[in-house]
Amino acid sequence: MEVPVKSMEPKMKIERSKRKSVNWTPWFFITPHLVIFGLFFLVPILFGIYISFTSWDLVGKANFVGLANYKEILFQKDSSFYTQFHNGLKNTFIFVILSVPCCIVVPLLLASALNAKPRFHKLFQSIFYMPSLFSISAVVIIWTLMFNVNQGPVNNLLGKSILWTSTQPYAWAAIVIVTVWWCIGGNMIIYQAALNGISKDYYEAAEIDGASSIQKFFKITLPSIRGQILYTVVITTIAQFNIYGQPLMLTGGGPIDSTRVLLMDIQQNAFGSGQSIAGIASAMAFILGLCIMIVSLIQFLFLRNRD
Amino acid sequence: MKSKLLSFPKLVAFLFLLLMAVIWIIPLIWGAVTSFKTDMEFQTMGFKLLPVQWVTTNYTSLLVDNYSTPLLHWFFNSLFISVAHTLLVLIVVSFAGFAYGRMRFKGRNAIFLFLMATMMFPGVVNLIPLYKIVDSLGWVNTYWAAVVPGAAGVFNIFLVRQFMVNIPLEVDEAARIDGAGDFQIFFRIVLPLSRPILMVVALFSFTGSWNDFLWPSIVFNDIERMTITSGLQLLQGMYTGEPTLQMAGAIVAIIPTFILYLFAQKYFLQSMSLSAGIKG
Repeated sequence: MEVPVKSMEPKMKIERSKRKSVNWTPWFFITPHLVIFGLFFLVPILFGIYISFTSWDLVGKANFVGLANYKEILFQKDSSFYTQFHNGLKNTFIFVILSVPCCIVVPLLLASALNAKPRFHKLFQSIFYMPSLFSISAVVIIWTLMFNVNQGPVNNLLGKSILWTSTQPYAWAAIVIVTVWWCIGGNMIIYQAALNGISKDYYEAAEIDGASSIQKFFKITLPSIRGQILYTVVITTIAQFNIYGQPLMLTGGGPIDSTRVLLMDIQQNAFGSGQSIAGIASAMAFILGLCIMIVSLIQFLFLRNRD
Repeated sequence: MKSKLLSFPKLVAFLFLLLMAVIWIIPLIWGAVTSFKTDMEFQTMGFKLLPVQWVTTNYTSLLVDNYSTPLLHWFFNSLFISVAHTLLVLIVVSFAGFAYGRMRFKGRNAIFLFLMATMMFPGVVNLIPLYKIVDSLGWVNTYWAAVVPGAAGVFNIFLVRQFMVNIPLEVDEAARIDGAGDFQIFFRIVLPLSRPILMVVALFSFTGSWNDFLWPSIVFNDIERMTITSGLQLLQGMYTGEPTLQMAGAIVAIIPTFILYLFAQKYFLQSMSLSAGIKG
């Protein structure tokens, strides 16, 4: 993600140096964004870190409590927040581990097939991309009925009567299926563009050497689009760490809190009914944020250095 | 050439895609069809693809005189918020993209790199304090809460800047010789040339705003004020026993982005490769 900032110096230097006073026009152009950015991004981030060291309830004064919130959720085994936090974080990780590979492999397969340009490939592409433009709440309502025990097409097609949303491991399966159906569009388009960019010469040379399709895929295709795979792995992981809507509306976090993810707890503690426990919720959010940063950093270093 | 059209890999690819496309389209078609069934039929008649009796009562009862889940109200709230948000983003982003991409000023690179670095920060950390700030501004349960904060994003500025950097600077210089100022260059030359990327930014801002789920469900607790995306959660809870009614609500929520996709598909499909190309 290197940004070539230095390489595009405009050549207006000479003209500018004639004016003595500072030119305020650029500042006029960037200030609207900087104000919104400062007020709604920069300040909240700093404020949020501060809140996590307080026993704030969203309305009253924030009392500084040092590391107490972190100690409680990380180590204090008798606290209900400890159980909640560990369960929520564990489930969030389970979801990331289950869904990210699917959200990479499925669109990669689709993109490879689309790249062969068979009949109707444009139409197929449109169909696969479409769900990513729908809201998660609408998507989950549709899929809740898809998974309906008696009336749903899934069970009727399989000839089974599985309780998809209220028994494990089906609850996780259902959540992952919905997620894959919903969000592969973007990655698919990225891979398509990447695959189109690979020179045909490589494949022709490999064909002369008698390479099989599978060999070609692993020896030519994958290495050629490694940059895009790295990029999609990182952004997909970040996106999936923020899972919220699917378990909230599909399984309600059940059965027995086994799909209850951390963002549900954060939302509930800070904004749910009853007294707000924004301090604890902020500490949870901060650790979740830290996990996201660490995992994406590891992925970045790991995938970049594997030659 | 002719034989290539029917080659074996192409056939395999076609069959695979056909199977997947069927899987992908079933939920949408079945969902749409089910929203025209009566609840009685859905619950008691066993699994049927098509309704025995097509009814629109699910829609009419949701849209007309409905006070506990005012779907029509939510729809227009969403529409207003998404349009206003998109306009705000377009203004803010094209201004900033122009300055970072085509103007020279002290601190430009430092500020821009700083903005880029902040993209690494996970947004989940600022959820709670953002609520407090919005609350102190008196914006809870107002459109402002859903329109303004989202415009703080940096990624769109990055996209627009990259695009504007690639417009030859000679164009500006020629205009400058003719006596044009920064504003004229921006409005008359750079902005019109940047239409493709601004279109992409607009489409994604609109759909992003329309589909935003967590944030609106926090800042709107007044039922009248909710957006349709967050309202659907309430609707799901309210009509647990009437799934076809829920389905009608979901279909209504999908329609605007669906229509947008029908007309602007090209932009949506190009856009991702555009942003990925820059990243990759």
